[in-house]
Formats: sequence, C-alpha cells, structure tokens
Amino acid sequence: AVAAAMFADGSAGSADVGSLWRRARGARCEAKSCQTGPIVTAEAAVQTGTKQEAGVQTEQGAGAAQGSPQEGPADAARLLSFLQRVEDAVIKELSKNSRSHAFDGFEVNWTDQNETVLCLHTLSYPEAQHRKLQVTGVSWNATGAVVACSYGRLDDGDWSTEKSYVCTWNLDRRGLNPQRPDLVVDVPSSVMCLAFHPSQPSVVAGGLFSGEVVVWDTSRTEDPLISRTGMTDDTHTDPVYQQVSWLPDGKHRNHFQLLSASTDGKILVWEEERDGRLVLAEGFALVAQQIPCSIRLKKLTWGETAVGVTSLSFSHFDPCVFVVGVEGGFALQCSTAVRTEALQRPGSSLPLRAPAELAFSSHGGPIYSVSCSPFHRQVLGKQPGNAPYEMFLFSRNLFLSCGTDGHIHLHSLLQAQPLVSVQLSKKYLFCVRWSPVRPLVFAAASGEGEVQLFDLEKSTQKAAVSIKQTPGESPVYCLEFNVQQPQLLAAGDAMGAVKVWQLSSDFTEQGPREMKHLEQLASEVTD
Amino acid sequence: GIPIRTTLDNSTTVQYAGLLHQLTMRARSTVRDIDPQNDLTFLRIRSKKHEIMVAPDNEYLLIVIQNPCE
Repeated sequence: AVAAAMFADGSAGSADVGSLWRRARGARCEAKSCQTGPIVTAEAAVQTGTKQEAGVQTEQGAGAAQGSPQEGPADAARLLSFLQRVEDAVIKELSKNSRSHAFDGFEVNWTDQNETVLCLHTLSYPEAQHRKLQVTGVSWNATGAVVACSYGRLDDGDWSTEKSYVCTWNLDRRGLNPQRPDLVVDVPSSVMCLAFHPSQPSVVAGGLFSGEVVVWDTSRTEDPLISRTGMTDDTHTDPVYQQVSWLPDGKHRNHFQLLSASTDGKILVWEEERDGRLVLAEGFALVAQQIPCSIRLKKLTWGETAVGVTSLSFSHFDPCVFVVGVEGGFALQCSTAVRTEALQRPGSSLPLRAPAELAFSSHGGPIYSVSCSPFHRQVLGKQPGNAPYEMFLFSRNLFLSCGTDGHIHLHSLLQAQPLVSVQLSKKYLFCVRWSPVRPLVFAAASGEGEVQLFDLEKSTQKAAVSIKQTPGESPVYCLEFNVQQPQLLAAGDAMGAVKVWQLSSDFTEQGPREMKHLEQLASEVTD
Repeated sequence: GIPIRTTLDNSTTVQYAGLLHQLTMRARSTVRDIDPQNDLTFLRIRSKKHEIMVAPDNEYLLIVIQNPCE
C-alpha cells in the first residue's frame, strides 16, 4: 500500500529585518531658523504746481519778417569806436576794388558744362497721333516734374466737335514710358491751351475750342474735372486760343483766379466756386473804338466790333499791367485798374471794362504770342556811385511779341516802336518765351518745325541755336521753359509729340554782365 | 548776429547777418589754427554778381556789398 503523503499546514517562525535608514537620518538632522532685520520705509509725494501750453503754426507765404533791428542804447559809444577803427580799412578796400582789374575775365565753372542741346524725351500719345491731333499747349507743373500737353487741332478753320485729350507725364519717375502718359483725360471738345496752377502741383486749367474754361485735378483718378464755366451768357463765344493763366488774387495771398482770353475780344477773370462752377469775377472787353488812336488801324472798323485777343502776358512787377496781342497785329498795354466801361453787346452779368491804355506799332500779321520779361535788377539799396535810379525802371518793361509775319519784336513798355526787330522765319512764329534764368535769352517756335534760341548778348540779328524738332516742315506750336529746372525746355509740335530738350550750359547760367547788357538795350529808348 | 543799422531791406539784412557771422567765425578759427599768433582782419568774398566785404571785431561786424564796375 502507498502511504499518501499528505500536505498539511505547517507554520514556521517569521523573520524580522530592522529599519536602518530611520536611525541614520535622525542622526544627521539639525534645525535652523533665520529672520530678516526690520525693513526701513519712507513716503514722499510730488505735485506740479503750474502748467503752460504753447502752440506753433507756420503760415504759407507769411509777410515780411517782423522785428525791426533794435538799437542797443548803451552800445552807441562802443559802436562808434568800432566804426572809427574799421572805417579806413573798409574804404581803402572799396576804392581798391572799384579800380581793380584783378578779376577781369575770370570766371569759375562749378558745374559740368554740357556743350550741346540734346533731346531728353520724346513724349507722345499714340491714339492721339492716330487721329492726327496736334499738340496745342504744353505746361510744366509747380514742382517742375510733370509736363502736361493738350491735343487738339489748330489748322481747322471751322467749328469742330472732335474729342481731344490732355496727357501728363511725370519725368522724374523711373520706368517712364514715353508712349504711355501717366494720365489721359478725355475732353469732349478740342483743348486749345493749358496752364498748371502755380502752387498746387496737380491742378491744371484748359481753354476749349467751344469757349469754355475747365479745371482738372490730376490727382483724382475717377473724375479729374473739378470745375468748368459751362455755356452761360458769360462765357466766351469764340475759341480760347492761346491763353489761360492763373492770377494771384490781390486780397488773399494764396488764392488764384483764372483768366482766359479769346478772339471774341473778351478777357475774363473767373473765380472757383464750391459746387464746381467757375463764376465770372471781373471782365474786360476790347472794342475797336476804344483802342487808343496812337496807331492807325489798317482797316477802319466802326462800331462795336470786338478786337480778337490772341495772347496775353502779365508784367512781373506791376500786377495790374498786362500786354495783349491782337489779331490786328499790334500789341496793347492794358491795366486791370481802369474804370471805363466797354461798349459791348448786352448779355453778360457783369459790366466789362475797357483796359487798353497804349498801343504799340504793328506786325505784318496777327500776333500769336507775347511774353513779358521776368527780370529786374536786384535792388541792393541806394548805393552811391552806381547806375542812376532810372535804370531800375527800364529793365522791367521789356516784352517780346511774335506773329505770322515771322518777325520778333522786342518792345519796351515805354515806347511804341520796337527796340529790336528780327525776322526769324519765313513762316509763322507761333510762340515766344523768355528764359527764366538768363535775361537775354528767349526761345521761339516756328512754323518750319524749329525751336530757335536767341541770345541777345551774342547777336541781335540771328539765332544762337536752332533745334530741328520735326522732320519736314511741320510746325512747332508751343513751348515752355521749366522754371524749377531751367535747363529743360518742352516744345509741342503738329506731329503730336512733345519733346523735352536739355539746353547747354551757356543757356542756363547767368553771366556777370548780363543785367548790364539788358539795361543797355533797354536804355536805347532815351537815345 | 543782430542787425543794428542797415541800408537794405529787413529780410535780406537778417539773412546776410546770420550767414556771414558764421562764416567769419569759421574763417577766424581757420587763420588761428594755422598760426595761433595770427588773427583775421578782413574777409572778402567775390561772387559772380557782387563782392561782399566783412570787417570783423570782438563785438561787431561791418558788412559791405559792392557791385564790381566792369
């Protein structure tokens, strides 16, 4: 038999392991404590007692500097002794100077001279050229960077309702594309002349074939038109051919009025109203009867026939005096300060005045352009030993006129006969302008396609430089000097292109004796 | 500098006074830098259109503008 080993429960003793770590830990602990010392605090307060405010504002075109020189009361004695000390030395230098020949013929060139005239840009608008439109007016803007031109037709005799364009190019932009103007304004009628605002660089005014005068703002992209005269009884009935210009307003220094002249004999001054209309502020009318009879008119015209105004130029010194060129071929000196009323057809809202005061001898044909000289001698006080006082008056009164007889007349406002008369072209002369920097230089645009630059210092009989603008004999209609960058001259021609010419340095820098020459020329009046 | 007496108009006078005062001080320091025993007695500037003469002093400046008569 197998004895079954039975598993039975049994128990054995248990074993204990004592803890070691508790005792070790207890042997290495220590207790410590610390406390910060007392914190010192203090309180103080600050309050501003008074306040002051001040404001500064600059005003455009502020008047003459205020503050007359003060005289130090106690300094008179010291001033006197100073003057006595230096007087001898200064007088010695002054008289040495007036006799000195040390600097005769000595001239310094600060800038690189460029010797030739070159064509910088040829700008055109291909669509206008497709339609065979011609450039009728050019204008530079107030900053001298943008040139605008107006397209129209000058050889149409009859009433035309062609659309035309006004295009502007910014010459300072990179990527200037001469075939693509920066801005093109579509105009429903032919634009005959153009003028940028003298201080706002984006405002330009134009005169239309329909007799209206319109103002555009080129910075507004949706609709540049900002005001127009509309076709009221006041507006011109004939095309505004050559002349639209901005006049400074006598009352507000920064405000300009718009002046337009047309072949219906009226010279109108417009004021811009808020609702976009141009309202007549003042007006003048030239009527044949009221022309001063110092010259004989070729055809005796009776009655109230109007004398067509083709061009106008204001004198730069006397804001009331202006010169007009008329279709009859003579120039008139006029003044805005006259009070006599003009005889004219009724229908305008304001009475028009007759401005003519003096008539000059005539050209062989209608006058197309007049320009008053912008130069006068800088008045450096009454210095003894200088030119006599009358010389100051002469150099202000010169103006140029040119017309269809191809002649240019240089007139002084003081006498009827011209001082100098030159024939520049066998065809018409369309535009003449004085240079803004050289008192003896002017430019003329001729019907033979040339721009002729005349320097009265070199020769009074022929042109100094003659620039051919168009191939063939297509006429150049208008030109303008850039007042801000005087070496640039823009000219527009019948092929629909505007060329910007860079003149050589001898046309842009004033020589030391130019003013004297100009005055000598003008003073031939008294001889 | 502050103008005391002048025969020109105010704005031109103030302009000349300010600009020429600075130039005179500069000229004077140039002369003295080159030779410390030296000092500026007279300054003349000739330009295309006229000649400017400056007589300097400790407290005052006399400026004369003359047109050359050639």
